[in-house]
Amino acid sequence: MNLRKYITLTRAGMMESLHFRTSAFVTILGNMIYLVIIYYLWKAIYASTGTGIVNGMTFEATMIYLVLATALFYFMEMYLVWNMGRDIQSGGIVLKLIRPMSFKKYMFFSCSGSFVMSFFMTFVPTALIVYFVTNGAIYLGSNLLFFIISVIFGLLINFYVDFFVGTICLYTESVWGINIMKEVVVLLLSGASIPLAFFPESLRNVVMVLPFQAIYNTPLNLLIRHNLNNFDRITMIGIQLFWVVILSIITSLFWKKAVRQITVNGG
Amino acid sequence: MEKIITLNDVTKEFKVLNRKEGLRGSIKDLFSRDYNIVRAVCNISMEVSRGEIVGYLGPNGAGKSTTIKMMTGVLEPTSGEILVNGMVPYIKRTQNAQNIGVVFGQRSQLWWALPVIESFNILKDIYQVSDRNYSDMMELYTSLVDIEDILHKPVRQLSLGQRTLSDILAAFLHNPSTVFLDEPTIGLDVSMKGKIRKLVKALNKEKNTTVILTTHDMGDVDALCRRIVIIDKGSLLYDNDIENLKGFFGSYRTVKVRLGREAEELTKENLKRLANELQQKLLDTHPEVNSLTAISNESWIDVLVHEDEIDIMKVVNSIQEHYKIYDLKLEEISTESVIRKIYEGEMQ
Repeated sequence: MNLRKYITLTRAGMMESLHFRTSAFVTILGNMIYLVIIYYLWKAIYASTGTGIVNGMTFEATMIYLVLATALFYFMEMYLVWNMGRDIQSGGIVLKLIRPMSFKKYMFFSCSGSFVMSFFMTFVPTALIVYFVTNGAIYLGSNLLFFIISVIFGLLINFYVDFFVGTICLYTESVWGINIMKEVVVLLLSGASIPLAFFPESLRNVVMVLPFQAIYNTPLNLLIRHNLNNFDRITMIGIQLFWVVILSIITSLFWKKAVRQITVNGG
Repeated sequence: MEKIITLNDVTKEFKVLNRKEGLRGSIKDLFSRDYNIVRAVCNISMEVSRGEIVGYLGPNGAGKSTTIKMMTGVLEPTSGEILVNGMVPYIKRTQNAQNIGVVFGQRSQLWWALPVIESFNILKDIYQVSDRNYSDMMELYTSLVDIEDILHKPVRQLSLGQRTLSDILAAFLHNPSTVFLDEPTIGLDVSMKGKIRKLVKALNKEKNTTVILTTHDMGDVDALCRRIVIIDKGSLLYDNDIENLKGFFGSYRTVKVRLGREAEELTKENLKRLANELQQKLLDTHPEVNSLTAISNESWIDVLVHEDEIDIMKVVNSIQEHYKIYDLKLEEISTESVIRKIYEGEMQ
């Protein structure tokens, strides 16, 4: 595999996101507003319970988790379902199918440029702020290495989930409803909007055997939980790897089957 | 001659779902078996040799784009066999992609936000073009067209003509054996069309690239193609030289007339109306004639006459009875009229 062929797409994506600076700033602003809202929401929740700890998490721990989850969400969001759906509807997908590489790789590397940009533009600054404001709630050590590996796996799982849902659009040719459904399911079941500790036991048991929690919950826990030993960490990453492999196979098979019934709209 | 493309009895059918409405409908459609079968391409066979420029013609919806998409490997034929460079395109799609270039006149394959030169650099890496071949190609490009001021502009700021030009250059960049041009001159002005024809011709000659061209502009065909393939409703109607086709319609001639001194100032609509009026009058005076047509063409009116049906002088006389003829020319049948005749089903 000639890497250059793929990295050039990453580079193109980075240049493209730099061209849309304004959109990056608006995203950061929206992110801030969202954080203010969840701050007051969770403050009210904690105030109503009267105790400092809910489900084993302090207010501070919950906030750190949610702030980082939001940052991670904006970093991983690639609008892939939306883009694939639009390409399928407009017929523009044909231009991506005539490239000398698999469609999945083409899409992944086309998205990858914006990952790199938003990792440095949104996630790193947020993590630094959290680090300084909380006086070291994120500790610096081997956990950072695990976190980085885990983020890459989380990213791949998120990509595969999106790719799978995007492939469904080849059959339905309608994007909007399916995309909204996916967003809700992923945000809830991945622990991005509510920490998994708050889920009822039975639901949490279900969530833990689904791939979604490996997108946000795993990397975040590796970053901020202090009480993990290396065995726990390797197990968590092993589970992610399992999902990466399984989803990679499933999406490839599904795409292969789906692409045969493509019609390519518009002349 | 080395065969680059072979189509053998190719048929493409689409299953079109009878759709239901709404999100619930969409989900139901996932499991629905309620299909109509549409046959877009029907038992087409042809061969194309290395270095040929083939005009692939047909009215809208004839199945041209579908055929091209099958040759590029995007669509899988329902039956029949396609070989491009000795490969079955839809099975070896990515390898086939390495050897073909594609331009869709209505879509750009360039990176919208980036300068053209960046798109070229990206394509260079994707197709793994060596530095040497790349700079040779760029040198050839600069010698053929004036691209210096286009190269550093973002694609979204280009005019349609400049964008199409860049798209064509992008398609030839990795020196593919075959380039598919799907309506490359659509929506372009006369001078840009001329430039693009010149460019395609030069690249075809220089690199011996096979070109499959679909178009509705007979100017493209006259400038570029010796051989044309015509399909309609998915079936092959004609596959041979243009000259041969004109021979088939040898008994047709065009009388070009300008009526009245003011012809130059007539608006397009008025000229069109005048042509219709003339056609009606001629058909009324000669009821034995079936195939006579009059259409406006720039400042002229072209009257197409089938000489087996009526003597050409009779037609000129009749025109003179109704109008004052300011200028008159006799011509062989034009490619445009030939194609029109075929679309209208007068071949059989």
